[in-house]
Amino acid sequence: MALFFPDNLYSDNPEEVFMFSNKTTEQMKLETRPSSTGAKSFYNNPKYRGWIYQSFLLVFLIGFFYTIISNTLDNMAAQGIKSGFSFLTTSAGFDVLMTLLPFETTDSYLKIFYIGILNTILVSLVGIIFATILGFIFGIAYFSHNFLIKKISIIYVEVFRNIPVILQVIFWYTVFNSLPIARESINIGDSVFLNVTGLYLPKLVGESGSGFVYGAVVVAILGAFLIKRWATKRQELTGEQFPILWTSLALLTCLPLLALLLSGVPFHFDYPALKGFNFKGGITIIPELISLAIALSIYTGAFIAEAVRAGIQSVPQGQTEAARSIGLKESKIMSLIIVPQSMRVITPMLNSEYQSLVKNTTIATAIGYPELFTVFAGSALNQVGQAVEIMFMTLAIYFAINMVISFVMNHFNKRTELTTR
Amino acid sequence: MQVREFKPLPDQPAPLSSTGVIAWLKNNLFSSVFNIIVTIIIVSALVAVLPGVFDWLIFSANWSGSTQADCVKDGACWIFIKAWSQQIFYGSYPDGEIWRVNLSLLLLTVVIALSFTLPTRLRNKIAVPAFLFLPFICLLFLDGSNIGLKPVSTDLWGGFSLNVLIAAASIIIAFPFGFLWALGRQSDMPFARSVSVTCIEFFRGTPILALFFMGSVMLPLFFPADVSVDKLLRVWIILVLFMSAYMAEVFRSGFQAIPQGQYEAADSIGLGYWQKTLLIVFPQVIKISMPNILATFVMVFKNTVFLLVIAVPEMLQVIMTALSNSNWLGGHAVEGYLFVGFIFWICCFSMSLLATSIEKKLDTSHKN
Repeated sequence: MALFFPDNLYSDNPEEVFMFSNKTTEQMKLETRPSSTGAKSFYNNPKYRGWIYQSFLLVFLIGFFYTIISNTLDNMAAQGIKSGFSFLTTSAGFDVLMTLLPFETTDSYLKIFYIGILNTILVSLVGIIFATILGFIFGIAYFSHNFLIKKISIIYVEVFRNIPVILQVIFWYTVFNSLPIARESINIGDSVFLNVTGLYLPKLVGESGSGFVYGAVVVAILGAFLIKRWATKRQELTGEQFPILWTSLALLTCLPLLALLLSGVPFHFDYPALKGFNFKGGITIIPELISLAIALSIYTGAFIAEAVRAGIQSVPQGQTEAARSIGLKESKIMSLIIVPQSMRVITPMLNSEYQSLVKNTTIATAIGYPELFTVFAGSALNQVGQAVEIMFMTLAIYFAINMVISFVMNHFNKRTELTTR
Repeated sequence: MQVREFKPLPDQPAPLSSTGVIAWLKNNLFSSVFNIIVTIIIVSALVAVLPGVFDWLIFSANWSGSTQADCVKDGACWIFIKAWSQQIFYGSYPDGEIWRVNLSLLLLTVVIALSFTLPTRLRNKIAVPAFLFLPFICLLFLDGSNIGLKPVSTDLWGGFSLNVLIAAASIIIAFPFGFLWALGRQSDMPFARSVSVTCIEFFRGTPILALFFMGSVMLPLFFPADVSVDKLLRVWIILVLFMSAYMAEVFRSGFQAIPQGQYEAADSIGLGYWQKTLLIVFPQVIKISMPNILATFVMVFKNTVFLLVIAVPEMLQVIMTALSNSNWLGGHAVEGYLFVGFIFWICCFSMSLLATSIEKKLDTSHKN
């Protein structure tokens, strides 16, 4: 002991222990090393310094925005551009290729704005749905035991992720433009037609008494929902399983069918038919919408597939082994064990992919699909010239849509999150 | 009692049914009824489609000649690409001056190579300033008016070299901005933080096309009436701001990956804020974020194609101009788009491979 520690370290006399013990903490505080400038200036206090920096920043920003705004006002006055939102009520005077609301060329710019928003939401929804389906199919296909399926999944992701989406849109639009003309259109069972002017589908038209059938559909959906809740509860209590899928499917098909027969089939199809140079009747889907939806779905689907792959890989191998050891089938392992656990990695990535899909709908302007950006920030801005107001309104809508997506996905994420007890 | 010694038998070769081609086929293609059906469907689809595709692409394609009249065979007309190759890569940059574009691309390659090969001691001192000066040196050469070369208007710049150079120039200048915004976002100063967050969220939330559009219709309004700012310069400003927001998020995730102990250690040896940030934090952040930086670069590189919407003659815009040329009205759109897609795919795919390999390298070095 004595070899390593001097005796006086353990001495009872406090004066001998340490030289520092001669000073109290208070004394040491008073002797703080002076700063290089001599006195303890307030400049050396990080808190005050922070405020100084921030006031510099504030002054800079005020100057910056003052210059920009005054320049903008001067330029607008010089070019004779009006300001304010009064242009919204004036008549637009141009036609829009596809509208979900009834529209005439004499309608106002505000109507154009609404039509643009609806078209953006339409293509975003279609894109999100198909991108998710493609993404999950190819993401799960990566883990297939079949060599070919796995390779196809890799090729899909690596090819479509690495090609600019705008090129893909233009490519699909070109493909669409090389389809035959209306008279020689591709005919599928005399009800679906595909030609250079679009895709024509039969439309279901309800007659009197169709409300009964719609009611039956609603009841069937509600019933399936209730069965699922009851079966889940019963499984949690007793462990007995109930064939939810088959009963729901039976309910969903039989009940509306029964209602349909009872009410005497109050429906008929409105088939598209060739009249003059083009088809009339049915549902028309314009080629711009189809090309844009295909390109966005495939492009975003590749990113989602990558996210799904990463999510599934994040689930530890032990989970699969444990599931096998309790005798689950391979298909059940995926749907009951792996995918639910991987969702908490996948969901945040889905959130950002959906948001970038909505932002990417703006490339419609390259092929002329009339969504918000093309029709409002493009055509309307060209005519009105009030760039500041129009860009502000357009961007506000994109931010709003993305906030809604973010809100929904965060809500969904809360449900899939790992609950630690 | 006799103790028997354990004598292992010599190793037997694996049974034929579990090695070799047949076993591989059995395990990977024909392991179950479902797999057999899928394999047959896929193989027959490939057999039906691939010969036709390769025939069109290569065997009956037209390779030699110089005008549309030479495209006599049924396959693709690659003469179209050959005839327009100079415009596709250099835009309308004057013939005799193309060495300036090549020099800029060479400088870019040299600086990137330097940053990988220099010894660690010199890397930050030489490569960082070289990167930051590079865009301005390239600008001097390409423009030419300030260094006694023949001035070339930015309207003539174009093609694939423009895609590469503007993407590189914007991500380089976005580096310091992005780093500042990321520092601002995690600083203790409330006002600086909210300004950074606003900048980042605005530029990340806005579609890049809308930003380009703003650059062409709104930015001119922001400058005094007598100042006219070049279109390409406006695009550059927009791209820099856009990239800064994305880089800031990349850096932020880098900051979060650095252990708290590094900051405390830097504090304990008495480093000031900027010393701590630049000497301790920055090098580690760059290293950790390298895969994400590359991914961001791939993104901006793909986004440069969006410039065609505001009529900047980048690669795809050149192809579209060529397609509407009266000498080439033979419908070569598929060839043109395939070529652009192929070039972009090669570049983006190799960069993503590089990112993956860096990620793997980093992964092992951080395992405890």
